[in-house]
Amino acid sequence: MRDGAVSLGGRTIWRRATFSVEPGTITAVLGPNASGKSTLLNLILGLVPLSEGTLRVFDQTPRRGNRRVGYMAQSRAADSTSTLTGRDYVGLGFDGPRFGWGRDKAKREVIRRALALTGTTSFGDQPLHSLSGGQRQRIALAHATVFSPDLLLLDEPLAALDLAAQAEIVDLINLVRDTTGAAIIVVAHDLNPLASIVNQVLWIARRQVRSGSVDEVVNEAVLSELYGHPIEIIVTPRGRRVIVGLEEEFAHPHPHPHPMGHVHDEEAHQHLSEVYEEEIT
Amino acid sequence: MSLSELLSTSFVQHAFYAVTAVALAAGAVGYFVVLRRQAFAAHAIGHVGFAGAAGAVLLGLSPIVGLLVFCLGAGLLIGVGGASLDESDAVVGVTLTAALGLGVLFISLYSGYANATYSILFGQILGVTWDDVGLVAALSLGVLLVVSLSYRPLLFASVDAQSAAARGLSIRAMSLLFMALLAITTVVAIQIVGVLLVFSLLVAPAAAAEVLTSRPLHAVGIAMTLALASAWVGLFFGVWIGGPVSFWITALASSSYLLARLFDRTRVRHVRRSLA
Repeated sequence: MRDGAVSLGGRTIWRRATFSVEPGTITAVLGPNASGKSTLLNLILGLVPLSEGTLRVFDQTPRRGNRRVGYMAQSRAADSTSTLTGRDYVGLGFDGPRFGWGRDKAKREVIRRALALTGTTSFGDQPLHSLSGGQRQRIALAHATVFSPDLLLLDEPLAALDLAAQAEIVDLINLVRDTTGAAIIVVAHDLNPLASIVNQVLWIARRQVRSGSVDEVVNEAVLSELYGHPIEIIVTPRGRRVIVGLEEEFAHPHPHPHPMGHVHDEEAHQHLSEVYEEEIT
Repeated sequence: MSLSELLSTSFVQHAFYAVTAVALAAGAVGYFVVLRRQAFAAHAIGHVGFAGAAGAVLLGLSPIVGLLVFCLGAGLLIGVGGASLDESDAVVGVTLTAALGLGVLFISLYSGYANATYSILFGQILGVTWDDVGLVAALSLGVLLVVSLSYRPLLFASVDAQSAAARGLSIRAMSLLFMALLAITTVVAIQIVGVLLVFSLLVAPAAAAEVLTSRPLHAVGIAMTLALASAWVGLFFGVWIGGPVSFWITALASSSYLLARLFDRTRVRHVRRSLA
């Protein structure tokens, strides 16, 4: 993308976006809620036009239904209540958009391969509503990779997962990159769990999209601007860097005497619920 | 008249052909109604049809003309206004009340309407003419043809609209297509079970099928089979034992859902026990 800008309903979402994505790399897209992260994916999918600048996907203007682009949507609302089996859902990734009666003989084999790649063969025949969140995300990845896409777009694949399931999906994304050589773009609101596999970061702040390496982004000033909230980076005894949000009071210290004469424990002011240990190499 | 004589009369024969066509279409479309959680829309379209039928009678036209115009109109309105399934409840509700109000007006303008009103509300399958059968069969076959051709895109757009859009399907177009199919199916179903009991053929068999299987193609097959069985047995009971055919069809279709749920519960308990 060169000098890209996008506006929806007359409002500029972001502008001056210039970046490129190479095969076999993972790009994380960070930014606060409603900053236009999913819009970036919709541009690549050809669902939304650029208002300025140019965007080329495999040297072509983006078009809907491009099989070289795989897409995993953020909230598949039907998932948690769906009686569909994983195999049927993955099958829709193969021939879901096609009208007509014909049956493609390759379908069974293509689904088998997608289930094998994502490690979902053992529960592929169970209805989606009976699976765990992590299992459903694996099925969704199988759905998105059914054509072995050269570019894979994942919208918040880690949302609403517990730590173990997050780590599992991160490993799987890495595996998909290694086995298919695809370029992968992951939209996320939290870099910590992804930092170990990401090659490039795009961050959206103040209606601008910027790109850099993980090291350039994991920097208190950049992150604080990105989230519009004070951020602190902690280095753990094992050498991992962890991104945490701070409470306003602590970010702008103003000394005041405590009624009981105790000194506040600094640790207590950090949002430890946001903390994940992650190795950054 | 003996039972065999009754069954060979022309009005029972007409009814047989009509219920067969309608049950097959309603079972297939019903699966998508249940899958898309749009039972309320199906309910509303039936009631809108009531206003259409009343209006047509007032103008001296055949009720089925009014039904087609109003149901298709309401279907397209709901399809456009509620393309994203989240907004559809309010759109459906407003359409429903507006149409019912019109229906009340039409009835009050037309005296001597009681008989026609009754048959639209509760169905009058044994009164269908040969011409009606032809129209009902043609519409039902058309619905089945379109459903079979657009089965995969309809399923895709229903279970995962975002991904379907990313793959090039127009969600709005699929929503409109579905509402049009639903509207036509409702019109033909009203011929048999009436506005108030349209659900019996449209929702109950499909809901039972969704409980029984997680394979979509199997579910469509089961829904069509259950709808057909309810319709045939209901017609037979109506002729043999007496009572309104629409009552029998409704009772049988609802029972099939109840039995499916009971069967599913014992199956789940059985699986749990075997795991323990």
